[in-house]
Amino acid sequence: MSVHFKRLLVLSLLLFIAIIFGLIKGAVQIPLTNLLLKDSRVILNMRLLRILTAILAGCGLAVSGIALQAILINPLAEPYLLGTSSGAGLAAVIAVIIGVSRIYMPLAAFSGAVASIILVYNLAREGKRLSDKSLILSGVIVSIALSAVIVFLVSLFGNEAMHEISWWLWGNLQVYDYKLILLVSIPVISGIIAIYIFSQDLNAISMGEEEAIHLGIDTQNIKKILILITALITASLICICGIIGFVGLIVPHMMRLVVGPNHKVLIPATCLAASVFMVACDIIARTVFAPVEIPIGVITAVIGAPVFMVLLKKGKRV
Amino acid sequence: MGVLLKINNVSAGYYKEDVIKDISLDINDGDFMGLLGPNGSGKTTLLRLATRVLHPKKGEIRFKEKNIFGMDLKEFCRNVAFVSQEVSGDFSFSVMEIVLMGRIPHLKRLQFETKTDLKIAEDALSLTDSLHLKEKMLDELSAGERQRIIIARALAQEPILLFLDEPTSHLDIGHQIQILDLLKKLNRQNNLTVVTVLHDLNLASTYCNRIALLDNGTIFKEGNPEDVLTYQNIEAVYKTIVLVQENPVTGKPNVVLVPRDKLCRQN
Amino acid sequence: MKKIALIITLFLGTVPLAQHNSITEAETVPLNHPRYISLAPSTTEILFALGLDEEIIGVSSYCNYPEHAKEKAKVGDFSHPNMEKIFSLKPDYIFCTGLEQAPVIFELKRFNFKVYIADPKNMKELFNSINDIGKITDRTKEAAALIKRMSGDVEIVNSKVKLIPQGKRTKVFIEIWHEPLMTAGKGSFVDELITLAGGINIAYEAQRPYSIFSAEKVVGLNPDCIIITYMDKTAPLKLVETRFGWKNIEAVKNKQVFNDINPDILLRPGPRITEGLKEIYKRLYP
Repeated sequence: MSVHFKRLLVLSLLLFIAIIFGLIKGAVQIPLTNLLLKDSRVILNMRLLRILTAILAGCGLAVSGIALQAILINPLAEPYLLGTSSGAGLAAVIAVIIGVSRIYMPLAAFSGAVASIILVYNLAREGKRLSDKSLILSGVIVSIALSAVIVFLVSLFGNEAMHEISWWLWGNLQVYDYKLILLVSIPVISGIIAIYIFSQDLNAISMGEEEAIHLGIDTQNIKKILILITALITASLICICGIIGFVGLIVPHMMRLVVGPNHKVLIPATCLAASVFMVACDIIARTVFAPVEIPIGVITAVIGAPVFMVLLKKGKRV
Repeated sequence: MGVLLKINNVSAGYYKEDVIKDISLDINDGDFMGLLGPNGSGKTTLLRLATRVLHPKKGEIRFKEKNIFGMDLKEFCRNVAFVSQEVSGDFSFSVMEIVLMGRIPHLKRLQFETKTDLKIAEDALSLTDSLHLKEKMLDELSAGERQRIIIARALAQEPILLFLDEPTSHLDIGHQIQILDLLKKLNRQNNLTVVTVLHDLNLASTYCNRIALLDNGTIFKEGNPEDVLTYQNIEAVYKTIVLVQENPVTGKPNVVLVPRDKLCRQN
Repeated sequence: MKKIALIITLFLGTVPLAQHNSITEAETVPLNHPRYISLAPSTTEILFALGLDEEIIGVSSYCNYPEHAKEKAKVGDFSHPNMEKIFSLKPDYIFCTGLEQAPVIFELKRFNFKVYIADPKNMKELFNSINDIGKITDRTKEAAALIKRMSGDVEIVNSKVKLIPQGKRTKVFIEIWHEPLMTAGKGSFVDELITLAGGINIAYEAQRPYSIFSAEKVVGLNPDCIIITYMDKTAPLKLVETRFGWKNIEAVKNKQVFNDINPDILLRPGPRITEGLKEIYKRLYP
């Protein structure tokens, strides 16, 4: 236990450092002493909101990734596997085309994400049973189908739809409406806590469905519950940040290499690591080519891949 | 000594066809039962039914008078454990972590394992001669070592009824005897009821007090080894000629295989 | 584990080295001057044309005319202006266009910035914009003068066009992008320029201002003149002329394919649009 405790402590420290950096660094140079002045208050708030969103998104996506990887016993599972991203994107495009006011965008995205999960779930269901393979297959098919519809609509309706989509595809952490962040944090945080409560079940399920049944785990129902929770987390995050790839796939694996596959430790460790990762990527995204901001999804990919490769080469647990 | 598990007129299958056709079987408290039969006769399916993995299409299964499908899952698993043939799972848990999972039926969701749980897990490991492996990763072990780990995990569940699916298939004869001796000891001293699928007829004959011989989804013959392991029964079910003698050490039936080219010497 | 922690801390530490240190004019301008930010090249040109310079404290990275615009502090690219930057510059008014900048405008308004959206689709709307901008920036005289000059240019072209009989009007295809093939249809400013220049836009049926067009259809409609103008200035003639089936088009046969008009004067609804008009006229009626 104490080895893990030390690791969690190190991660927390890193997160603290990352947050400080996040507040100091930005497109505009403001020395730390001036940051708290009334003049800079707005910029400070903007950065604070960003950091909070980054942490929320990181934890939510990474823990959803963990849950899906365990339930589907598939290391390639990630939060958007079940069609949420395409569903949200399609709903956003339709909303733009119809001419809905931007205030309703998050709602549109959320409904789209949820609708696509319901579609995937019903396609994959065989009576009352839910098979992993059908779920993955349905998820992939629905994603591809909906993406095709998006391309179709964009080609018909040109510019406006195009811009809405590019914002979507690569993610955006600047949310100005703190009330929206607060609203979204409710399903996300409670979802993360719920998944943590199921750690024991996740441990058992990752050994195999039958193995888990032999240990007393109600696999069918738990899978359904967890899929619902991950869908809720993912859909909520898409509403405010768009699609941020890589975090949900890579950070869980990175942390498995470091702290092992026991979910009781893996989940908190991944939350901390994902937060550090997202805040760091965000800082890079908005300072490297300031004032031009690189979409966060690009940075997570560019940073995530090599870091993961280094960890993989090291083989066993660090 | 009552009936622990009652299987009543159960029929089950995976698709349209039934693999198990109207089977009834009583497993008594204290039994060491062997499930035998050729490939495809339904042994694994029967185990799946008894451990709640598969639902019967007809009939019911009762554990201590309670319908197993109505019981609380964890309560069932505190009493009944299962040793599968193989371990799957993508992620590398350590041996200790795997055996500790056997304690899950005894732990609430958010409970962490206590020192008692750790001791039980370690005891289970030493019983299966695997304590030295406890820090290793699953993918570092040989097939035999893995099999002993799975048995250790089942033992850590502290069941009163243990099902095993070919637990000795990957073990060398030394370890085969060791495991079966262990099970026999637990059966006698701790009153652990054991039901195991075995492919080796002689092992079954030596260790089991009862044998159920399955053929094509039904029980061809059930009883003690002397009654079941006759050359007529074996030939009828396995479609192969054998010779059955008496084992000089145990007094139990000893099945001798007869290769085709020796057949002309048989009367 | 410790190694990774070290790497991450180093990473965060080197970020400041990658940053630009921008001490801009804006910080040296006393706060009693009005402060304007322009998020689009077209509005930048208008502001400069009205005689403003010091007051312009921030532009987009695409604002390249006049020369002096390039030296102004950058607040981001066309579709993603940096809010932090805008905030720190403390503008009194922000000028931008509609369409792609709509999401940005939403955010700017949320922060109670004063925003003027200039999205003219034709000359009349452009003149109105210039007028409005003149009022906001207290340059009404200059605005009037600019409008007068531009109307004059339009009149000159108009008078020449009137002399050309309807039957002899040049059919023209404007290509604004090649993959996919895009043109400016009815409702776009470019379409208006073509009409003012006396041409017939073969894409007038395309109801949307900017839409994808069929290459086959161009062959079928057989324009006399093709003007290529990509926003990124890379329009190679060969690409267009060698397109499958296009060698039979009148424009290609008579070598009336032009890529030498600066796209900035055609595609930006600003002070130089009348130059663009003149250039189109020259190509249509050499």
